[in-house]
Amino acid sequence: MSCSPFELKDYFLKELPAAQEREVEAHIKGCPLCREELDRLQLTGAALFSLREEEIPQRIAFVSDKVFEPSPWRRWWSALWGSSARLGFASAAMLSVALLVSAVMRPAPVGRVVTDPPKAAPSVQPVSNAEIQTRIDAAIAKAVTEMESRQARQTAQLVSDLEDARRKLLVAAAEYDLSEKRVATLRASNYELPPLHGGGNK
Amino acid sequence: MIFRAVEDTDLIRQATRGSVESFNLLVSRWEKRVYNYLLRITANREDALDLTQDVFLKAYQNLRKLDDPTRFAPWLYRIAHNEAYSMFRRRKPETGAEEVEPEATEGYVTVGGSQVFPVELSLAVAKALDRLSPDQREAVVLKIYQGFKFEEMAEILACPVSTIKSRLYTALELLKVELAPVTPRGVS
Repeated sequence: MSCSPFELKDYFLKELPAAQEREVEAHIKGCPLCREELDRLQLTGAALFSLREEEIPQRIAFVSDKVFEPSPWRRWWSALWGSSARLGFASAAMLSVALLVSAVMRPAPVGRVVTDPPKAAPSVQPVSNAEIQTRIDAAIAKAVTEMESRQARQTAQLVSDLEDARRKLLVAAAEYDLSEKRVATLRASNYELPPLHGGGNK
Repeated sequence: MIFRAVEDTDLIRQATRGSVESFNLLVSRWEKRVYNYLLRITANREDALDLTQDVFLKAYQNLRKLDDPTRFAPWLYRIAHNEAYSMFRRRKPETGAEEVEPEATEGYVTVGGSQVFPVELSLAVAKALDRLSPDQREAVVLKIYQGFKFEEMAEILACPVSTIKSRLYTALELLKVELAPVTPRGVS
């Protein structure tokens, strides 16, 4: 116990106002017990400070990384590219858009191939309704021709396949006839046929 | 110190307005202190680092809730304290933080009345701190190592100043016995 006018620990911890600090300092000059108590506290403090602060093993990453900035667009984009499922969905969506754009843009080049004047006209020529109709007719005619030729190829292939199947059936029928004739000949000569699949004799 | 405090206040205001760079600067100023505070109360470097990251993430997310930027330090340490004790509760729900084993368990070194090497002294101090209760140890860490005032500690730990003083005084008495024992005549 100390007889200091104020708590020595508060003095040691620097929690006393300046006036009270001075009173304590004046007291300990004439009080060996309080002087000793304060010395022990200061020795304890010095020992505690021998435990040094450690460096942080790694800097805090999330705030120094731009990806943590509060931007919804950026978070969405990161999340999208961070997920294979979402990436697949995005790829499919992009492919769909590309197909749609291609389908929408396709008629223009077809018409131009059919009717455009040869090379670079410096100014845009007005196009009449009749010319538009002509282009449409030409595009339709071309498409129909292509479709007919594709159908013709498919029909020929189908006919060929059917012919092939018919030949195979004829061969199978001939083999069957031959087998029947062989059985009839053997029966006529009273030859004992071997049993079929464990069944009775014929 | 005052200059630094004003700077922190400015940084907090800018960070509140969305300046990530200002918050980065705040983090770089405080991360070592927060890490060491958490290291002292968890006695585990990995936990301390993970918790430090969580603390700054929560601080970033809740910075707008900080009404008075001059109270940033106690507010930040309050988050750190809560994060640490949440971890203690998750790991040992039946006993809380009372029985968390420290990482370092080296042998005890007597220091009273005899000269010791700095490493031995550090070991003795670590051992003496381990012998305190978690509450007492945290009070010592906040006061001696982090330099907070009683009122700030009360804010961080959400308890009255009288409780803070009581924990500190008891802790100092225990530490004094371990680290500055009474010599037969005079003071070493």
